[in-house]
Amino acid sequence: MSKMGYLKEKLLFLIINSIAAFALSSFLYFMGVQSYFILYTLCVWFFPVLYLLIYDYIRRSQYYNHLLGSLYDLDKKYLLSEIINKPDFVDGKVLHEIITATNRDMHEHIKEYSKKEREYREYIEAWVHEIKTPIASGKLIIENNKNEVTKKIEEEFNKVEEHVEQVLYYARSSNTSEDYIIKKFCLMDSVKNVVRKNSKSFIYRKIKLNLGDLHYHIYNDAKWVEFIINQVVANAIKYAKEEEAQVSLYAERNQENITLIIEDNGVGISKTDLNKIFNKGFTGENGRIFGKSTGMGLYICHKLAEKLGLGMNAVSDKGAGTKISIIFPVGNFSTMD
Amino acid sequence: MYKILVIEDSETIRLELGELLSRYGYTVEAPCSFNNIIEYVNSGNPDLILLDINLPFFDGYYICREIRKKSQVPIIIVTSRDSEADELMSMNLGADDFITKPYNTQILLARIFSVLRRTYDHVKDADVITCRGLQLNLANGSIMFEEKTLELTKNELKVLAYLIKNKGNIVTREELMEYLWSADYFADDNSLSVNITRLRKKLNEIGIGEMIETRRGLGYILE
Repeated sequence: MSKMGYLKEKLLFLIINSIAAFALSSFLYFMGVQSYFILYTLCVWFFPVLYLLIYDYIRRSQYYNHLLGSLYDLDKKYLLSEIINKPDFVDGKVLHEIITATNRDMHEHIKEYSKKEREYREYIEAWVHEIKTPIASGKLIIENNKNEVTKKIEEEFNKVEEHVEQVLYYARSSNTSEDYIIKKFCLMDSVKNVVRKNSKSFIYRKIKLNLGDLHYHIYNDAKWVEFIINQVVANAIKYAKEEEAQVSLYAERNQENITLIIEDNGVGISKTDLNKIFNKGFTGENGRIFGKSTGMGLYICHKLAEKLGLGMNAVSDKGAGTKISIIFPVGNFSTMD
Repeated sequence: MYKILVIEDSETIRLELGELLSRYGYTVEAPCSFNNIIEYVNSGNPDLILLDINLPFFDGYYICREIRKKSQVPIIIVTSRDSEADELMSMNLGADDFITKPYNTQILLARIFSVLRRTYDHVKDADVITCRGLQLNLANGSIMFEEKTLELTKNELKVLAYLIKNKGNIVTREELMEYLWSADYFADDNSLSVNITRLRKKLNEIGIGEMIETRRGLGYILE
């Protein structure tokens, strides 16, 4: 609240006072009252007026400046009503009431939405678990009746399973979900699980697998990390070359992190597409050529990685291959053992 | 023969899992009512329990805890809930292993086998499989034929064991590789050929001769 602004607002009040004071003193002057008495009258008039103005200014500016200061300092601005005091002047009281009422309403609104969001996520998770039982029984039926037809059906089942998994992790990657558990695990075990999961693709498409040194211990959520690795490996398989395809997984120990590198010699990603691959729904050139891309896999990975405090980046040469790095930061805590 | 109790509320899974496990030489029992499941477990004396989490009446966690009060029978929890939290919970309640649905059947079988081996010492007997007078010892990785023994490498052992288990049937190279990959040996085409060649050489050395036949374009067969 600036002084000039305040004065401007009180201008009319001051003008009226001045006119009235002028009228009174002229009247007294023509009545033949002595000038020092007129001066005294004016002092008696203006002293309380000015005193009141200054007092009022200080009171208001203190309150409003405090209010503004809190507003700027607050991370979540809608919490303002929780921390302000009720003022003792009338328009301040009105403002206070308005802020409190609107904030309360806003809270209700947010609560309603977060409840809806949570319910939706819980339903999706429950649904994903439900759907896994028929997938499991279907796969068992196939296992018990192996032939050329069921083999094809199994491939389709595997695709369904993959998509279902993606839905689950999409729900988990939302901001309100915090259901991960950080514990120590070996990178090699996660990679082995992923490789086993994709073994059919590796074998039937004759893709060579190279596993480097992966005996590093990491503190994170093993399941989420496995999902991320799986998405990247699945992409490497999807965009593999027809002949002499290779996928290599190895890790590097750096000063501040352990980096898992997943490298393929597949079709690669063009320069214009490369920095957009983690965007939601981005399918790019390869998506158009190869089809079957939803543009969600890497987006979900990136979101999960952000939540877990991991870094992800991609390097690629069109036609020569892609190299995706997953960076696990190593803090003091992680090196305690 | 080991008796496996399948506690699972989906009828299809009960049937199909029963068929699969009995094909691999286990006796399977799968109750279809769950209100007296704990008494059922205690009176049935199974050697291993495959337990689902989402069940009517009591959930799997409760059943697991109740069973553990009285018995040390190995329990493998089979569930579609796959988070770390669920896994930790299962282990804390005394389950021996945790597998998520939908499972790879080879992995399920391998887990069952290893839990059984850990629990019952005398499974060691089952570690020796025989075929046409050839004894294959899975525990120490050796083959024996007419008093002669020879050591196999871990990977040769896996190849031979799978061929013996499927004797009389043609095993395609892909099928064999799938099995090897599920057993953590990520062999490519070349290394599989190398292993088969070495295995044949060792079988020749021991005197059993041409045991593994190649069916051109199809795969291998052990008659």
